[in-house]
Amino acid sequence: MIRLSPQLRALLQRTTLPFLVLASMVVIILGKADQSLLDSLRRTVGDAVAPALDTASRPLAAVGNLVDRARGVVAMYQENLRLTEENEKLLQWQDAALRLAAENEQLRGLLRLVPEPAISYVTARVIANSGGAYVRTVLINAGSNDGLARGQAAMTGEGLAGRLTEVGARAARVLLITDLNSRIPVMVEGSREGAVLAGDNSERPRLQYLPASATLKIGDRVVTSGEGGVFPPGLPVGIIASVDSGAVRVEPSVELSQLGYLRIVNYGLADALPKPVPVSPHTGRRGKPATDDPELH
Amino acid sequence: MALKVFSLPALPRVDNTAARLWPIATTVLAAVGSILPVHIAGYAALTPAFTLMAAYHWTIYRPDLLPPAALFAIGAFQDLLAGAPVGVSALLLLLARGVVMSYRRYFVNRLFPFVWTGFTILTGGALLAFWALHCVLDWALLDFRSTAFRAVLTVAIFPLGSFLLGRTQRALMGTA
Repeated sequence: MIRLSPQLRALLQRTTLPFLVLASMVVIILGKADQSLLDSLRRTVGDAVAPALDTASRPLAAVGNLVDRARGVVAMYQENLRLTEENEKLLQWQDAALRLAAENEQLRGLLRLVPEPAISYVTARVIANSGGAYVRTVLINAGSNDGLARGQAAMTGEGLAGRLTEVGARAARVLLITDLNSRIPVMVEGSREGAVLAGDNSERPRLQYLPASATLKIGDRVVTSGEGGVFPPGLPVGIIASVDSGAVRVEPSVELSQLGYLRIVNYGLADALPKPVPVSPHTGRRGKPATDDPELH
Repeated sequence: MALKVFSLPALPRVDNTAARLWPIATTVLAAVGSILPVHIAGYAALTPAFTLMAAYHWTIYRPDLLPPAALFAIGAFQDLLAGAPVGVSALLLLLARGVVMSYRRYFVNRLFPFVWTGFTILTGGALLAFWALHCVLDWALLDFRSTAFRAVLTVAIFPLGSFLLGRTQRALMGTA
């Protein structure tokens, strides 16, 4: 170890704190100016810590499951009644779905429709959340090693939870639909009005860019519109919860504040994400990307 | 100024490596603990500021064992993992250290309610700064209520955190 003179050591001690305060400010400004600057560092740290977070979050998940199970036992009778009733309804729906599937198959054959891309799923566990920060993201224990890619949809059985924004080898970050930076092209089922679901860190994101003529009512279902080409159309997102003086808010179908597992869905559309486009030598303008930017910033 | 510093009791020398690393280790644990998913509805936005708690405790009792560089690294680490703007936590932890160091003589060897009151004021200031900083970074008036709740939870849980840190400190270093 290097021996420092007492004066030098005192000087170092006095200046370290102000220097690091300044360094923090510089890092904040740099990160704000160019968000991609820290992306690779984020991915590296996420990958490095993912196994430890995975292990550490297991007991908490186990406690969560235990609580859910205890609640389940208490409400078993009621739940059973509800499920029996629901099952009867679902059997009727199954019947209808089978008939429609057969009819659909026939019609597709008649039209020689191009088959839809194959869908693959990866189920991952949430290993970290945003810890009180003004962001709504979660970290999951799967990454590019498992075939995940940026832009893929993260869902639960209830509906859309968010999309992948950073994908490391072993861990990936999901930007939830309630985050301030989340913009999802959606439409209101029934009226088929297109809009953008914009998160604002509150529990209920807002619908933006609705046509002035839109007729909406509380309880209408909101689904992805498929515009932008990142998500396929028709994924359930939520229902309209309030319509106040122009601000339309949507209650997400998914309980986003206590996510346990997420299903990452690859519809074979991830290639639709815009890539850096070279400047065209002929027009001197940037060529049009394959699709619009799904982030719609 | 120099007189005031010398009026504080000198920190006893710690030769045990485990004890020397304990303040940094507990602060890292606090950072990891604050991002672990707890299956309670709405918890993520209201997570108590565990890291601030550890930083306050060690800045009062063993500032030599939790240097500014460690606070900077732990803050940046927490932001990277939480998906938050990097540097915000580091900045707040460092500013908290600066403030606590300048008033440290009032807290050493004082009764717990006095230390708790100090932490309440620090938490209020730190989380207000946290909110203001995020408002500037996102250029939007963000909801302050969740941060106000966080502050209340953080202050409420401080006695437990302080008890655990104090106990392990006495066990490892022999002094309070």
